[in-house]
Amino acid sequence: MQTAPAVRVALGEEFGMKIGSNVTGQMITALKRLGFDRVFDTNTGADFTIMEEANEFVERLKNNYNLPMITSCSPGWVKYIEMNYPELLPHLSSCKSPHEMFGALLKSYYAKKEGIDPSKMYVVSVMPCIAKKFERQRLEMKNNGLYDVDNVITTRELARMIKQANIDFVELEDSKFDDPMGEATGSAAIFGTTGGVMEAALRTAQDTLTGKDLEKIEFEQVRGGDGIKRATLNIAGKEIKVVAASGLSNAKIILEEIKSGKADYQFVEIMACPGGCVMGGGQPIKSSKIRSEVDVRKLRADSLYSIDEKSHIRKSHENPILKKIYEEYLEKPGSYRAEKLLHTTYQKREKYNI
Amino acid sequence: MENNMVHLKIDGQDIEVKKGTTILEAAKQAQIDIPTLCFLKDINEVGDCRMCIVEVEGRRGFATSCIEKVQEGMVVHTNTPNVTEARRVVLDLIISNHKVDCLTCTRSGNCELQNLARKFNVLDVEFKGKITEHEIDDLSPSIVRDFDKCILCRRCVATCKKVQGIGAIDCINRGFDSCVSTVGNKSLKDVNCTFCGQCIEACPTGALHEKETTRRSMGKIKRSRYICCSANSTSGKGSSW
Repeated sequence: MQTAPAVRVALGEEFGMKIGSNVTGQMITALKRLGFDRVFDTNTGADFTIMEEANEFVERLKNNYNLPMITSCSPGWVKYIEMNYPELLPHLSSCKSPHEMFGALLKSYYAKKEGIDPSKMYVVSVMPCIAKKFERQRLEMKNNGLYDVDNVITTRELARMIKQANIDFVELEDSKFDDPMGEATGSAAIFGTTGGVMEAALRTAQDTLTGKDLEKIEFEQVRGGDGIKRATLNIAGKEIKVVAASGLSNAKIILEEIKSGKADYQFVEIMACPGGCVMGGGQPIKSSKIRSEVDVRKLRADSLYSIDEKSHIRKSHENPILKKIYEEYLEKPGSYRAEKLLHTTYQKREKYNI
Repeated sequence: MENNMVHLKIDGQDIEVKKGTTILEAAKQAQIDIPTLCFLKDINEVGDCRMCIVEVEGRRGFATSCIEKVQEGMVVHTNTPNVTEARRVVLDLIISNHKVDCLTCTRSGNCELQNLARKFNVLDVEFKGKITEHEIDDLSPSIVRDFDKCILCRRCVATCKKVQGIGAIDCINRGFDSCVSTVGNKSLKDVNCTFCGQCIEACPTGALHEKETTRRSMGKIKRSRYICCSANSTSGKGSSW
């Protein structure tokens, strides 16, 4: 069992808690009580995504190749570009999304380490997203004949399972994610909101490019609820133009700019849902009245940013678990094994099957 | 600045709001709640369901508050016996063609139609007649559409078209045969749907929901316990999947 960042700041709402309550500890306890043997954090997977994506970005930047690079962790967005702009697919990062990367590592590295037959593992992801149910079944998301992830359930479905098991969620004690893959960084937490993936990748990319441990890690320009956020950043003496868009209408605007050659950015983050994963299609449903009176996106996103601020480690490449797994198993970002397990391919897709 | 303001009276309260404000929004500013159903701020403002009707003095019939703009000197009443009764009839009509299986519906307890029915004391459905019947579309890996629970509010249609720019779903046919459908009435798996699920977030009822796979997970937990016993005995490891 693994759980995405945006789930922990929304699950409590299904039990009458305040919008944006961070219920990570209670969620883990509930999952254990439901009978899942191991509970892991998809945020660790997100740290891998950042390592691989930042590495890919730095490589592309050095060689001026397939720029701008566009993020690929939102499966609704990936299906959209495959159907509507197949000619722009080379711009898409080849990185799998965090939970797929994590699933692949569980059934390879972790299985080997613990002496478990990967074919007997059943990996379930709790996601704020329903397109992940589709992504999971893509044939590219297999390794040695096994799907990286065996089942995807939404935040709402998890809430139903907890209610069904008659667990009093609000009163639960906190628990911690299981080792050895339990520790994640602040960078990974903000994956769940628009602009977060970009900010996380930039933290790692700027350290890689400068070779320093930079203290300026907050990129305010790509935060906030706007559908399109453009910024020009100065990284390692280089001017880098970035844009973060959420909602597919906004994605279309950016894609048209790239298609017509008007775009001069190097890095683009796109999320299918307006506001990013915190507002995903698998999140607790809010009535029309609440939606018009409360900024649900902001409350959930602020909660993720506060998890980031409180984290001991805020840059993915400084996560000791990653260092260990790269050392013991994957070698380095972009290695042969990393490519095989953590990267994927895309295909042109027909809009209509008629 | 003065010219941009409009003065009106809602339920006896004198209020001043910006020109171009709807009656619904003006009432909200005066802490007066008007019930809505098809309304979704900035996304679906079409005045379709008539839940938000109010009385305006000197006017025949009701005004639809979610789309009607305020006018200088307007006198509005939001909860007269006439308004309340009309809203109850509107709900009665909607429910008369709604698959009422609330006990087993995923949205029970979080359904806007159910909440309104409770609020307006709909204890009996007076209008009985033909009911539309459609097949459930559960072929996609992500979204299930149960048309018989659809109340034609169009919130999903507006979200798909305006917010996401996709337009995978739209209303077809007229009158009693109206329904939300796709190109050629295909399953969502065969059209330009991206499975983002924003339509589900917009749906006030259980007409749209995710494909449930919780039972599969629970089933696996039971079985993996069995598997882990045998795995433990063969491998000798303490871990159990």
